[in-house]
Amino acid sequence: MSDTKTVISYREALYQSMNTALSESPEVVIMGQGVDDHKGTFGSTSNLAEKYGKERVFDIPLSEEGNTGIAIGAALNGLYPIQTHIRNDFSLLAMNQIVNTAAKYKYMYGGHFEVPFLIRMIIGRSWGQGAQHSQSFQSLFAHIPGLVVIMPSSADTVLESYNYAVQKYKGPVISIEHRLLYDYNFNSNYNSNSNSQFKENPFTSRLIREGSDITIVATSIMVIEAQRVSDYLFREFKIDCEIIDLHAISHFNKEMILKSVKKTGKLIVADTSWRAYGVCAEISRIVCETDPSMLKAPVVSLGMQPTPCPTTKKLEDLFYTDDYTFTKKIIELVKGKNHNIPMTERSMNEAYKNFKGPF
Amino acid sequence: MISLYKNLFYQSLRIRMVEEKIIEIYPSDKIQSPVHLSIGQEAVAVGICNNLLKTDLLYSSYRSHAYYLAKGANLNKMFAELYGKVTGCGKGKAGSMHLAEKSVGFMGSSAVVASTISHAVGSALASKRLNKNQVCVATFGDGASEEGSYHESLNFASVFKLPVLFVCENNGLAIHSTIDQRHSYKIHEHAKSYNLKSTYIEEGYDFMKINSLISETINEIKLTGLPQVVEIKTYRYKEHVGIGDDHHVPYRSSKDFDNWKSVDPLIQDKTLINEFSEKINAEIEAAVNFAEQSEFPADSELFTDIY
Repeated sequence: MSDTKTVISYREALYQSMNTALSESPEVVIMGQGVDDHKGTFGSTSNLAEKYGKERVFDIPLSEEGNTGIAIGAALNGLYPIQTHIRNDFSLLAMNQIVNTAAKYKYMYGGHFEVPFLIRMIIGRSWGQGAQHSQSFQSLFAHIPGLVVIMPSSADTVLESYNYAVQKYKGPVISIEHRLLYDYNFNSNYNSNSNSQFKENPFTSRLIREGSDITIVATSIMVIEAQRVSDYLFREFKIDCEIIDLHAISHFNKEMILKSVKKTGKLIVADTSWRAYGVCAEISRIVCETDPSMLKAPVVSLGMQPTPCPTTKKLEDLFYTDDYTFTKKIIELVKGKNHNIPMTERSMNEAYKNFKGPF
Repeated sequence: MISLYKNLFYQSLRIRMVEEKIIEIYPSDKIQSPVHLSIGQEAVAVGICNNLLKTDLLYSSYRSHAYYLAKGANLNKMFAELYGKVTGCGKGKAGSMHLAEKSVGFMGSSAVVASTISHAVGSALASKRLNKNQVCVATFGDGASEEGSYHESLNFASVFKLPVLFVCENNGLAIHSTIDQRHSYKIHEHAKSYNLKSTYIEEGYDFMKINSLISETINEIKLTGLPQVVEIKTYRYKEHVGIGDDHHVPYRSSKDFDNWKSVDPLIQDKTLINEFSEKINAEIEAAVNFAEQSEFPADSELFTDIY
């Protein structure tokens, strides 16, 4: 292996991690709606049924609660199931099993049982996903002790987390993927010789850009947004953002966040979901409970508007945080409201503009 | 060698006497856990578990004292668990509603109705894929058959041809709701619509009859690898949760209770009751003593075994 960087897409990283799971771990099965069909869960499981057999990669009835219970029972008897929900919204039908049994199994019976399995859930956005194909439930799951909840934002966070989950971790892992990340290309170091600390400890946060003016804590695709906005602000105005990819919603690196906020004195939290009772509220709680005097300005949070997601593009554009708002909020926090920096017109991330449905 | 009848009688009587001991202790508040007593339903657990190996996996509900004992789990650890002691099967974190003992294949008991049925199906899926040659058993009440996941589980087991035994203990009550208030279907008849074999027994007090049917059923499941449903009519002597008798409340009739008691071997067979009581009592006293003498969990236990 060389240690030169390779470029792979999020989708390819997902496929690689699924392929590795099946080839390296004979106890792995992938069970989900359409995992063996011609579309292969947006390309992340394509042709794996042919390669590893329909006993290991198989379609299942539309019975989310039952299927999740079946995965739990299978995990209790020696398999490692990987389940998929092609939209995060469908996972609500499995809430009883996820919250009442998977999260409790080890603790409730005194540590005698383990339930190792992975549930992949995909957030939809854009091209009319509407109210029931666009939700982002990380805070619901991370609220529950016993669940590891992650939101991979890059190819390497997928590879690090999934390979570790399957090969090393003995409990339930919920991974919330973003549909619009699938086509992004990333520099990947995963297969190089470099021994990333995150291969052994992936369920934590990552400092992905160092800066001195402001701390941005972001999740999932908002990490990409934060990077775009930060690059622009540094290039144009020498505003220097520090970005933390929260990644492990249930197990984020609190010290990393506090250290950064202590340095910059300014904090923006950018999440894919609603702000109330969510990631934005939680990160603010951590800072407030530790030492609010480290803040030189009030915290700013960015997320979805407090409404269901509308389908029409006109309203959907207002529902999500756009780059213009993101940029404006950072400039205002760093330079004050009377900053005199000319704002460019409202713009959108290319992925949202280019994404063509239907799914 | 002890006869089959005596063996099954002994096991059933042991379960009843354990629960009668719980009733005796309960007012002292030493057991601070909601108990759902199996009194009246012991024969079902005994008739099933007599046909299972330790490697066969069984999942049950909150009414699971009988299954815990019939599957061969340790009585000391059960009383210690009810007392909230660290020597309990769940280190005091489980209580009455979450008894489990992995070493004997008693895999879990959930307080949320019907939640463990699908676990048995999943374990059967693993058994089939990994060639473990186990039968996996889900036991549940008539109320659980109203939950969607019961139907999802039967369908999945049938489509994937999995070695699962589904046993419905039909005591006709969901807390205080009678079955005619809740069911448009007959459980054993409706189950057949999932293209699996289904059988019904009226005499839920008759451990010999239950044992014989379950023996036959398990042999068929092992031979064919296909799931089956067994519905067993039974009778809950006590209130839904707690130690009281509630036959004075008009939702059910004392006449049914009297009829059931008149055929209950654990009441009628005085000879065997006399023969076995002393031995069982001694075992129970020792278990209660074990629980009394055991320690509560250390404070640090609050934070162990979460992830």
